[in-house]
Amino acid sequence: MADWQDPHKLSEGEFLDQVHSFEFWFEAVEGYLHDRPYGFDPNAVDEEMDDRRKDGLITTLCNYCIGETAALEASSGMIGFAPDRASQIFLSTQVVDEGRHLEVLIRRLQMLGVKDPEAEIDARANKSLLRFKERLLELVDSQDWEAAVFAQNVILESLEYTVFRNHVQTGDKITSQILQGIVTDERRHMGFGENDLGRRLRVAPHMHDRLDKIKRELDGLVLATFKQTLGELGIEGPKAPDLAHDYLNAVARLGFES
Amino acid sequence: MTNFLSGYSIQKWLESCPQGYLMDTIYGHEAGHTEPDAMMENETLREGQIRTTCNLVLGERAALAASSGLVNCAPDYLSKTFLATQTLDEARHVEVFTQRLYDLGVSPADLESTLNEFGNPNLVKFAEVLLEKVDKKDFIAGVVGQNIVLEGMAFSVFEMLHAGAKVDNEKFAHILSGTIADERRHVGFGENRIGSLIKQHPEKIPEIEKMQAEMTGHMLATFHSAFAASDGANQEAKKQGDGDGEALYHGVDLAEASTEEMEAVLSDTVLHEFKTRLGRIGLEYQSPAA
Repeated sequence: MADWQDPHKLSEGEFLDQVHSFEFWFEAVEGYLHDRPYGFDPNAVDEEMDDRRKDGLITTLCNYCIGETAALEASSGMIGFAPDRASQIFLSTQVVDEGRHLEVLIRRLQMLGVKDPEAEIDARANKSLLRFKERLLELVDSQDWEAAVFAQNVILESLEYTVFRNHVQTGDKITSQILQGIVTDERRHMGFGENDLGRRLRVAPHMHDRLDKIKRELDGLVLATFKQTLGELGIEGPKAPDLAHDYLNAVARLGFES
Repeated sequence: MTNFLSGYSIQKWLESCPQGYLMDTIYGHEAGHTEPDAMMENETLREGQIRTTCNLVLGERAALAASSGLVNCAPDYLSKTFLATQTLDEARHVEVFTQRLYDLGVSPADLESTLNEFGNPNLVKFAEVLLEKVDKKDFIAGVVGQNIVLEGMAFSVFEMLHAGAKVDNEKFAHILSGTIADERRHVGFGENRIGSLIKQHPEKIPEIEKMQAEMTGHMLATFHSAFAASDGANQEAKKQGDGDGEALYHGVDLAEASTEEMEAVLSDTVLHEFKTRLGRIGLEYQSPAA
C-alpha cells in the first residue's frame, strides 16, 4: 500500500494519480478561493476610472474571455482522447478552472457596466487571438494528443500566464485579485503540460521537430496578441514589460528555443 | 434564461459542492470509514459489490465523455460554464467509484480487465447511443440523452443503492449521497435549459424521442441482466441479514424483496420519472417496444 502522505515514497504512476485527482485539485483551489466569491474580496472597493481607461480594460477583458473560452473548449475536448484516467480527471479539473475564469471575467465586465457580455466579446475580439483559438481547436478535433497538450497547456497557458501576471502588477485592485487567482490555476495547468510532454519527449525525441513546427506557426499569433493587449491597457514605449521575452522563456523550458 | 442559469454558476457550485456537502470528505466519504467486514469476508457479497461498482464506473465514464463533449457545442457561455462543473462532477464520480473498486480489493493493474469482466454490455450500448449524438455536436439531443435520460437513470439507481447501503454500509451510503446531490443538479439543468430550446427547434423532436426510446430499451435490458447476475449475492445478503433495519425504496423493503421485485420497482420508478421529466420539456415518453 502506498503512503499517500509522503510523495517521495510514491511510484511515478501513484504520484501522477494523486496530483491529477479531484482531491488534490480541491485542496489546491480551496486556499485561494475561500472567502473570495467571483475571485475577489467582496469588501474591496472599485477604483474610479476615466472612460478611456475603462474602455481599454473592457476590451482587454473581452479578449481574456476569448482566451479562456478557447481553453475551456480545448480542455473539455481533450478529455475524450486523453491517454489515461488520471489525465482525464486532471483535464476535468482544468475544465472547471477555465469555466470559472470565464465566469469571473464576465462578472467583472458586468461590474464595469457591460450589459451584454457575449455581444461585447464578439465585437471587441482580437483577430490574432481568434485565429489562435481556431487553430487550437483544429488540433483538438484531430485528436492529436501531443499537439493539443502543447498548444493548450504550454503555448496558450504560457501566453495567459505571462499577460495576466504582468496585468496583476499594473491593474486596478479588483481585476488584479481576480487575475491573481487565475494565474495560480494557470501555473498548475502549465505544470501538467510540461510534465506530460517532458516524459513523452524523453522516450520519443523525434516528436520535438513536429511540436517545434506548431510553436513557430503559433508564435506569430501570440506575439501579435501581446502587442494589441499592451496597447489596449495603455502600456507602451520603453517602460512596457517584455511579454514576448517572458513567453519565449516559459516555452524554452521544454527545450523549444526561438 | 439568464436568471435561471445564474443559479447554476460555478460560484454556486463551489459553495454548495466542494465547499458544501463534500467538505471534509475523502473520496466522497468520511475519513476512517471502511467497507463492512462482513461483506469483505464473504466472496459472493464482495463480488456482487464489485460487479455493481464496475457498472457505476462505466456509467460515469460515459457521463464524463458526454458532458465534456457538450461544452464545445453549448450555445451560450452560461451553459458552457455549467457543463464545466458537470464535467468535474462526473470525473469525481469516476474517481470515487474507481477508488471503491480498489477498496474492494481490485488492484489498479487489474482495473480495466475487471471492468471488462463485470461491465454490462447493454450499458455499453446505452452509452453508445448517447455518445453518437455528442460526437455529432448535437447539443439538444445530447443534453436530453445525458441530463434527462442518463442522469435520470443514475439518480434512481443511486437512490436505490443508497436505501440498501444506509442500513449496513455507511461509507458507500455517504459516497452515494454526494453523487445523488450532484445528479439532482444535473437533471435540474437539463429540464430548465432544454425546454426552451425544444420550443425553438420542434423539428428535432422525432429524432430525440427515437434516441430516448433506444436508450430506454438498453437501460431496461441493463437492469434485467444486472439483477439476474446479482441474484446469488442478494440471496447471500438475505442469509446474513440480521433484521436490524428496513431498506425501504418506494415502499419495497429491499432486504426482503426478491430480485424480480427489486428490478420491477427500479424500472417502474425510472420510467415514471422519465415520463414526468420529458413532459416538462415538451417531449412525450416513447416506449422502447413501440
